[in-house]
Amino acid sequence: MAGIGLGLGIVGVAIALGMIGMAAMQGMARQPEAIGKLQTAMLIAMAFVELVFLLTAFVLAGTFTQIR
Amino acid sequence: MLDALNVSRMLIAATETSGGKGGHHFYSFEGLMVYTGLTLAIVIGVLSLARNGITPRYFTNWFTQRLEQLYLFIENLCVGIVGSHGRHYVPLVCSIWLIIFFANLVGLFFPYTPSMDLSFNLALAFIAVGYVQWEGMRANGVGGHFIHFSGPKLGVALIPISIMIFMIEIISEVMKNVSLSVRLYGNIFGGHEATDAMNALGAKMISLGNGQYLGVPFGAFLLPIKLLTCLVQALVFCLLFCVYLSLVTHHDEDHGSDGDHAPAHA
Repeated sequence: MAGIGLGLGIVGVAIALGMIGMAAMQGMARQPEAIGKLQTAMLIAMAFVELVFLLTAFVLAGTFTQIR
Repeated sequence: MLDALNVSRMLIAATETSGGKGGHHFYSFEGLMVYTGLTLAIVIGVLSLARNGITPRYFTNWFTQRLEQLYLFIENLCVGIVGSHGRHYVPLVCSIWLIIFFANLVGLFFPYTPSMDLSFNLALAFIAVGYVQWEGMRANGVGGHFIHFSGPKLGVALIPISIMIFMIEIISEVMKNVSLSVRLYGNIFGGHEATDAMNALGAKMISLGNGQYLGVPFGAFLLPIKLLTCLVQALVFCLLFCVYLSLVTHHDEDHGSDGDHAPAHA
């Protein structure tokens, strides 16, 4: 059951990462001179999205196994 | 040659105290210390190699030129995010970058690395967030630093809202430690686990007869993306450190506009 939950979490995080990458790519294609700033903002946003999954995988999964 | 083999065998044996339950190894404190020492030795070695090439006119050493590029990159990062006074923070950010990057690189060649351990990452995060508090107190004063947590000035009638914002900000400030350390730990440890799983996949790929197998190290194909992860995680740690620094030190000139810094408070 926890495996299914983790899989669902991965789906959401993957969609979110793809959307961030897509938006950054579009911005970079429209304004190549702003690539530096866009990359910084993209990496920050990706870090926060990734953290959601890492917290789920390492903190919540541990809690589930303790409860069960 | 034999010495190098013995040393590497000792390094591997230093961490594996006991094969625990579920196939996971539990690593010893001494192993962590050994690998931290190895990482520091590599960092100090690279820096001393680079120091040889410093001449008043131009840098002749290959290492010196590359490290100069790294310095310029970090300086660009600090000045771009923190602002004009960001050059002040370059030494700390650059040291943290070097330590995280070389700790991650050690993980590519050895079965263990300091940044695969939550305690090492938590120590780095404590250093980063503690320095952010110190800089905030230096920039705004001790009282100003804590008043800064309570959001914009809302007036006397909305003091309960300000108290709630204050508590939420304190929680988010504590969670910065957790977020910095768990991100690094999860990425490096997860990459290691993925390599192990791929290796286990190819362990019985080619049969030699009489019950023996020739393994195919599929995990080696993950090395390029692990190298990319090494670079990106070191960069992300320094990037977030700079963002946190800019949040507490940016309010010297414009004290009214707190609202547009909200995204980095996660």
